[in-house]
Amino acid sequence: MRFGIIALLVLFLGACASTDTIAVHPEMLPVKSDSLSSNALTAIVGPYRDSLRGEMDRVVGFSPLNMIATRPSSPLMNWVADAIFADQTRTVRLSTPTFCLLNKGGIRSTINKGNITFGDVFKLMPFDNQIVWVQLPIECLKDIETYVRTSGGEPIANARIENGKLLINGMRQDATHFWVITSDYLMNGGDKATFFSKRTEVNKTGRLVRDALMSEIQLAGTISADTTLRISF
Amino acid sequence: MRGQSALTPRYVFLFNMDRRSFLGTGFLVTGGVLISPTLLAAENTKRLKKVTILHTNDTHSNIDPFPDNHAKFPGMGGVEKRMELIEKIRSEEEHVLLLDSGDIFQGTPYFNKYKGVLEMKCMSALGYDAATMGNHDFDGGMDGFLKATEYADFSFLCANYDFTDTILNQKTQRTKVFKKGGVKIGVFGVGIELKGLVPETIYGKTQYLDPMKEANACALELKKQGCDVIICLSHLGYEYGDAQVSDKVLAANSEHIHLILGGHTHTFLAVPTQVKNLAGNTVLINQTGWGGVHLGRLDFYVDDQLFAKKEMVVVQ
Repeated sequence: MRFGIIALLVLFLGACASTDTIAVHPEMLPVKSDSLSSNALTAIVGPYRDSLRGEMDRVVGFSPLNMIATRPSSPLMNWVADAIFADQTRTVRLSTPTFCLLNKGGIRSTINKGNITFGDVFKLMPFDNQIVWVQLPIECLKDIETYVRTSGGEPIANARIENGKLLINGMRQDATHFWVITSDYLMNGGDKATFFSKRTEVNKTGRLVRDALMSEIQLAGTISADTTLRISF
Repeated sequence: MRGQSALTPRYVFLFNMDRRSFLGTGFLVTGGVLISPTLLAAENTKRLKKVTILHTNDTHSNIDPFPDNHAKFPGMGGVEKRMELIEKIRSEEEHVLLLDSGDIFQGTPYFNKYKGVLEMKCMSALGYDAATMGNHDFDGGMDGFLKATEYADFSFLCANYDFTDTILNQKTQRTKVFKKGGVKIGVFGVGIELKGLVPETIYGKTQYLDPMKEANACALELKKQGCDVIICLSHLGYEYGDAQVSDKVLAANSEHIHLILGGHTHTFLAVPTQVKNLAGNTVLINQTGWGGVHLGRLDFYVDDQLFAKKEMVVVQ
């Protein structure tokens, strides 16, 4: 092959006599080898690799139950939304109705009965989505009701959906706006959450959803999830 | 027959052929017929200068290989295997340039835990010559990038991020010229619009400059500096359905770029894409997918006489 390329090149270059020429031969090489290779990089990576494995296996908390994300709402969906809401509002006095809305699709794993490791939290939330506060006009309540009805259920906290109607704790008759604590992924229209384009204000926290979950587990030690069915249509 | 695989395209791209001497683009040569021993005479081959360009993109902190039960890339990738491949090529080729098109960071706990330091150490050990910044290379903050790149002994090339009013001021370069075996290779980098992809709290006072304008300005500068080959490291993305600037759009609106090594869209190109530029010449675009699963290789053969003009012909 290589010999052939040279031959072809020489033929071409020869044929065009004095033409100035660049030739390119491309190849796409798979990075794969049958034997596990150990080389100069192993010495560099080794300590990090070992330490990370130790870190990933580190126990950060305990779950008394097996929990899975199922619609319309489930203990795991409740726990995730509650954890984010608690992380964000523990030291904040809310003057405007505020609730947490995440997406079931963002919960990528289960929480299993027993010890919860650092690595488990990464599996639960591998994405680096950040927590954002989004202010929406009151008429968007209907958009969210439609959104959750269409999907069949999403994680919510500090609110419930009764017979399809979104009821945010602390809602007042004269409220013109409300805040949604969510992820930048949803705010940017991910998972078809297009209603967020009607936002009137945004506060970006820069805090990763995963970091908040990790922190809530560590704070609680043994986590407990609300088993209430929060959503009904 | 070195490492041939089913993916290896049997293409040779020839720049600056005198079209009138041949049948035009897409001229098909059927292998053995044309290979004659006299063509391989030493006096014919020695005037070709050869430089091997190796490249990656969107490696996303994949230090370890993908697990053996991975649905798409079982056991593939990993920095040690990448080193094995690169070292083999270096043992066979005298003049090698190793480049990356960004998104080195983010994707495995290695990044979350070690903030990109390990990625920089590995790339330095692998002998990278230059890289451009992807949007995820901002994920640890600009201070995080700065700290990690203390371990990088290669350059970051960013022509359209103006970092003047930030802590990255003068930490990246616009262009860099490499001389390899008598061939002068000019390299520059362009990145994607940060607004909407990277929190403003992170990119701060970084000014985003028009990638097309800056790319063409860089290419012209490099041409004026006498570069034989001009390479754009791009994190713009391969192609979009709308007007957003992509590698394809840039290629079509360029004049002096020979090769765009792309990233961002995780596009796997088994064969480089050819696009006609403003002068009607062909620009090559290549991208390796993501995760360090593939290594792109392009062997450049440069004639002794410096090129200046005309066409690229594909020989299949």
